[in-house]
Amino acid sequence: MKKYLKIIIPIAAVILVLAAAFYFGGNSPNASGWKIPDKKQSAEIDPTDVSSPLQDKYLTDPVPEGKPKPVEPQDIEISDKAYTCTMSISCAAILDNMEYCDPEKIELVPADGWLLAPQSVTFYDGESVFDVLQRVCRDSGIPMEFVNTPIYNSAYIEGIGNLYEFDVGELSGWMYAVNGWFPNYGCSRYSLKDGDVVTWQYTCDLGADIGGGFGVGE
Amino acid sequence: MQRDTFSSFHPFINLLYFACIIGCSIIFLHPITIGISLLFGILYTFYLYGRRAVRGICGMLLPMCLLAAILNPAFNHAGATILCYLPSGNPLTLESLYYGAASSAMLGAAVLWFFCFSAVMTTDKFVYLFGRAAPSLSLLLSMTLRFLPRFQAQFSAIRAAQHGINRDINDEKGIKRIRNAVTIFSIAVTWALEHAVETADAMKSRGYGLPHRSSFSIYRFDSRDKGMLAFLVYSIVMILIGAYRRCFYFRYYPTVKAADITVEFIFCQLLFLALCAIPLAVDLWEDRTWRHLRSNL
Repeated sequence: MKKYLKIIIPIAAVILVLAAAFYFGGNSPNASGWKIPDKKQSAEIDPTDVSSPLQDKYLTDPVPEGKPKPVEPQDIEISDKAYTCTMSISCAAILDNMEYCDPEKIELVPADGWLLAPQSVTFYDGESVFDVLQRVCRDSGIPMEFVNTPIYNSAYIEGIGNLYEFDVGELSGWMYAVNGWFPNYGCSRYSLKDGDVVTWQYTCDLGADIGGGFGVGE
Repeated sequence: MQRDTFSSFHPFINLLYFACIIGCSIIFLHPITIGISLLFGILYTFYLYGRRAVRGICGMLLPMCLLAAILNPAFNHAGATILCYLPSGNPLTLESLYYGAASSAMLGAAVLWFFCFSAVMTTDKFVYLFGRAAPSLSLLLSMTLRFLPRFQAQFSAIRAAQHGINRDINDEKGIKRIRNAVTIFSIAVTWALEHAVETADAMKSRGYGLPHRSSFSIYRFDSRDKGMLAFLVYSIVMILIGAYRRCFYFRYYPTVKAADITVEFIFCQLLFLALCAIPLAVDLWEDRTWRHLRSNL
């Protein structure tokens, strides 16, 4: 028995560490605990299949029936024709997940969650959600940081009002929805129409807590 | 180099001291802490290297730090105070300027302390400390550290020899010039490889790294070292407690926020200042004693 102790102890330690890591799951809401991934759901999205022939050249999956197709910002001419849309920026999802929030950022979260309450915004024909967000943030003095990602041909919003991606757990970040639908492409490629309702929301769980994300936005 | 009394302490004290100072300088981003570390880093580098330090600091370190200070606001846009918008569309914030300045000063301080480290921790001290625990690693380290100056010296010797037979780089033009350069480089590299093998063989044949083999060293852990060790351990413990009680706390993003100025805070910063000033204080005290003794003769 004593002979095998040298082998048993390290193996037991490895198993314990792995079990603890599996239980912990990650620093995000609903990540801890014993969970077996739902096979049906994971079959629908195959993350390894990046070269699907159905994807366009910016790796966008087919857009659901009846939803606007993405447009490429470099092909669009912006005219002087003024329209209005409604825009809001909300981080209400953080209020439910305060325990995951970066302690340095707690003071930035408004009590009601609105960084920008829904308001009517003027935009010009051909402008994208990103153009409008950028202008609104400049006009109202909200700091907003983005990075252009060429493979998706769109801007990616890293942070609004100094609330950045990953500030509230490792599945957090900013998402946008237009008329209740979370587009499956970037905000620089969504061309706005008159009367659209744009909501920017902070998610703590890849969109699941705000009603968007993988397989939910259909 | 000037006579440096701090180098005459036990190698373990030297190593512990530099590990502590460089660690603190890198971890604590409080402007006062960085300022203290940078100031004493500069002073001690000047004391050790004399006028040669000016060229190193102005020629290499200053541009590097300036670049780091400029690059941060160009790529980091976090912060609540928007100064203006960059051409890329992202904001330029006051906080990113502060952070750029602080982190570049931290970088400068760390590099300066490493300059001092390499002057004080000579290779024999290194081998003395680690020769028993990791013989091949410490031999490799000491050979690597020694390699660059030796290689430079050997390189100029080879060039001089080649110049003697009219085959230096500047003696001919065009293709021949390149050929001469390649030949000289090849000679130098061959020498370096052969030398490394020879050194390793020589050390092996002398029984380096064998068990029960002792080696000569001139280092003794005397009462002066004991006193210094006690002070170092005391300040490390106090600084760690201070860090735990957020005496070195300073937040740059999203808004600048500093630790409250309390008795604890002042005590911790003064202790760090004392820690940074140790080598200079020891050296200046020794110089004073030396002058005093000499004037009495």
